[in-house]
Parts: sequence; C-alpha cells; structure tokens
Amino acid sequence: MRVKVKLFASFRDICGFNEKELIVSDSIKVSEIVDVLIKSNSELASKKETLLVAVNQEYCDLEQILQEGDTVALFPPVSGG
Amino acid sequence: MKDIYIQEETIDIAAILDKGASSSDGADIAFIGRVRNNSRDREVTLIDYEIYPEMALSELNKIADEAIEKSGLNRCIIVHRYGRVFPGETSIIIVVSAPHRGQTYEGSRYIIDEIKKRVPIWKKEHYTDGSEWISDRS
Repeated sequence: MRVKVKLFASFRDICGFNEKELIVSDSIKVSEIVDVLIKSNSELASKKETLLVAVNQEYCDLEQILQEGDTVALFPPVSGG
Repeated sequence: MKDIYIQEETIDIAAILDKGASSSDGADIAFIGRVRNNSRDREVTLIDYEIYPEMALSELNKIADEAIEKSGLNRCIIVHRYGRVFPGETSIIIVVSAPHRGQTYEGSRYIIDEIKKRVPIWKKEHYTDGSEWISDRS
C-alpha cells in the first residue's frame, strides 16, 4: 500500500526531503517507518525519544497502524509562539 | 466569535484589537508575542517560522474551542506569523474577550500554553554566527 511521509524542521534537514510517497506492507506501524529513516539517517536516532507523530493531521503514537493513503508527519517538539 | 489566521504578512495589531469587539464584554486581553533580539547570550538577527499549515490551523481551532468552552470567552482571535520574522516584530497575537477579567486571563494563558505544546510550528533562530532549530535543544 502507499503512504505519504512528511518531515518538518530539523527532521527534514537531516533526511533531505520534506515529503515522500512510500510503498509499504499492509498493517505497518509508524515505528517501522521511523526505523527505516533512522537506518539511512543515523542522526535521527537520538531524536526518536522526543519525536512527535501525526497521522492525517491528528497526533498519535509510534504504535499507530497505518492504512492505505495515510499521511504520516514526523517532527521534533514544536516551538511556536 | 472565533477567528484564526496563519499569515506571512505583518500583523496589524490595531485592526485585530477592534475586530468583532462587543459592548457586552467587559474585559479584553491581548497577548502579543514578539521576536527578541537575543537568546541564550547570542544575538538574534531573525527567526524563520516553519509550519505544517493544515495541521497548525486545525490545532489552533481546537485550542480556541477548548478555551472558549473552559473560560466562557465570547471573542477569540489568534494570529500567528510564518516565514521570516525580525526582532521587534510581532510573531503572535491572541485576543480574547469575556464579560469579566478572570475569564480572559485564564483563557489567554491556556491558549498560549497549549500553542507551545501542540501546534506544529517550529522556530529556526538565526544569529550573527550561525542558526539553530529551537526544538532541538531542549
């Protein structure tokens, strides 16, 4: 199935893209996508503990199971205001 | 009334203060956040605000709805800048109104505190000697 991954702020800088469509196996968890990103971008590993996840613009955790067409956003703690 | 904006343009504070004001409310609170020219002993030249636009708008709306319900606000306006904001410029304004002051202090504080926890906006501070994403240093 296809899912879209969006990265923001330092995560985008580290991985070198802001949006990418991935073809993944059914019932994949967000954490598995994060692990794939960490494999090719080791600097991301130290940020895994504090990273925030949103699926289809709603916050969720790394255990969230993805569905076809979902948009997963991964980002560091927010700093607006 | 509730109005939420995320904009690149300078914030017109006077226009926001007047927008939708009602004579049935006895208290208005405006929280105005501005970019400082210094941060942790470094000279700040500008801040780049990055946003996740759709989600930021949705979270701001949820926060406003929560504050309206919790504090009984009659007016709630939130405007947040994105893009390049320079020292002294307004990065955010929150205007809330209610019949009495207690409600407005409470509602205004709730909104800014929740924005700092939940709204997907990130600051990259630029200094005379480099730059840094602020979310990465905590």
